[in-house]
Amino acid sequence: MTAVNRRPMAEAGENSAAGQSVPRVLLLVPARTYRAADFLAAAGRMGLDLVVGSDGALPLGGRPVVHVSAGDLPGTAGRIMALGTRFDAVVAVDTPMLVLAALVSGRMGLPHNPVQAVIAANDKAEQRRRWAAAAVPQPAFQVVPAGASDDALRRAAGEAGLPCVVKAVSLSASQGVLRADNPAAAVTAARRIRRILAAARRPAHEPLVVEEYVPGPELSIDGLLTDGGLAVTAVFDKPCTPDGPTFEETVLITPSRLPGPAQDAAIATAGRAARALGLTHGPVHAELRIGQRRGQARPVMLELAARSIGGLCSRALHFGNNMSLEELVLANALGRRIATSRPTAGPSGVVMLPVPRRGVLRAVEGRGDAAAVPGITGLTITIPTGQHVHPLPDGDRYLGFIFAEADTREEVEGALANARGRLRVVIR
Amino acid sequence: MTDLATKVAAALEGSVLPSVIARGASLRVLAAEDGVATLEVTGSPGAVVPLAARIEAQVRAAVPEITAVRIAAPGQRPPPEGAGSPAEQARRVLDTEVNPAIAAHGGHVTLDGVDRGLARIRLEGGCQGCSLAEVTVRQGIEPLLRARVPGIAGVVDVTDHEAGTQPFFSAEKR
Repeated sequence: MTAVNRRPMAEAGENSAAGQSVPRVLLLVPARTYRAADFLAAAGRMGLDLVVGSDGALPLGGRPVVHVSAGDLPGTAGRIMALGTRFDAVVAVDTPMLVLAALVSGRMGLPHNPVQAVIAANDKAEQRRRWAAAAVPQPAFQVVPAGASDDALRRAAGEAGLPCVVKAVSLSASQGVLRADNPAAAVTAARRIRRILAAARRPAHEPLVVEEYVPGPELSIDGLLTDGGLAVTAVFDKPCTPDGPTFEETVLITPSRLPGPAQDAAIATAGRAARALGLTHGPVHAELRIGQRRGQARPVMLELAARSIGGLCSRALHFGNNMSLEELVLANALGRRIATSRPTAGPSGVVMLPVPRRGVLRAVEGRGDAAAVPGITGLTITIPTGQHVHPLPDGDRYLGFIFAEADTREEVEGALANARGRLRVVIR
Repeated sequence: MTDLATKVAAALEGSVLPSVIARGASLRVLAAEDGVATLEVTGSPGAVVPLAARIEAQVRAAVPEITAVRIAAPGQRPPPEGAGSPAEQARRVLDTEVNPAIAAHGGHVTLDGVDRGLARIRLEGGCQGCSLAEVTVRQGIEPLLRARVPGIAGVVDVTDHEAGTQPFFSAEKR
């Protein structure tokens, strides 16, 4: 791990009313993300001096604030360093910028994850290998090379155990993930996932992961790493996660219903998984299932990402002084001590609205009725009408997000289900 | 370039210029005479606004002959006497400095009004629903309006982004 070298903030004071230094943060924003607005709002509330780097050309001035390219890491890092601007933190808003943030942070002497750890976290096959080496509980798995024969796929499915799940290693949001109940179905699933990867312009040499299907309750754990120590920010139950063949992320409710010892075991497993990948700093988002082995419930790692929870889901969380999760992420990146990392509000939840079928989105009707359901605190549709939409496993977008808060988890779940039921999605 | 202008350029190069470039703009010295340095900003005009005080302080510290720094955007015309209400001034800034730039993305910005120092703006076309719209607002439009219109302290984006049908960048879950 690179030694921490907190730089003086002598050049960071231009936005401060009293002429005092304010921290300067380089925020790396991919062009296609849900997360930009929430991070900008957080930085604004914290009074940070923000410099944005993006691979999306911004129209004002005809060029981006700082042009960055996740596909040209050395060149981009060199350009940023050549600016000669001192930063107190470099933060990636979303997955495509994670490796670049680690690389630039390292060159600036800021606390950061090792680049290879972030690369490993972005690769589901490498995750599995590293967790296997560290004996982190996970499904039995096989990594199937790109050119593998149908026979090899059938064997992999048999060795992983049936039913199994066939996964693309580089996609997220359950895109390119299919359950297969027999070896022939695994071959069919792999062919379909290969087509999805090609459409997503992923390299043709990418392997697939074939892993044991683990039945049981699913949960997600968000946390912040500091020098390898994990401070949990949220544990979400995912009560409506389907059994397959596709795995839409739907309802997330926090705090978790799981008994304390089960949560503690899951958190410990997520922390071990992060350390096994080599992650040491910044946000992590882990997904686990509570599986049964020899009659004993135990947490099993499904996936882990070196970022905070995706989409707009963080809006379901409020921390002390009404801080957002993004404020905690930025504070953590600046090396600030975080007094409380667990949500302070009561039960809350979010439902991610999956695309029900392929076609052109014409309307999402009933929004007013849905928003009027008691407990509903927000409803955002994130795909414009007129756009082509694709359901999982082909698609990579959700129609939108509904948020709820109530006195009990059951009321939250009920409000989300009620609101979702009032929406009529028109796709033709 | 005069010796004085060269000194000003050197002062910028060695101090604040990297920060200006980092924000998507650049500066060049148009003139340095009678104690006044005139700088031209190119690129993102709003990028220089937060740095203006620092630019002046560093130029004056490095070049004692300079007692004032004037920063001009290309083609920028000074507001006429009696420039009008904050809303009128803000519309003028949007029409002359913002909209010509964001037209490249098929976008357009209109002003709904100004209330208690807050300009309510509405994004249209390619900006409506764009996943980077907030960056454009917070890093471009807001600092520009705050700098150009004394009565404006901030910007409120009142756009119905969900109704946008042609966003320049669409969000994806990653």
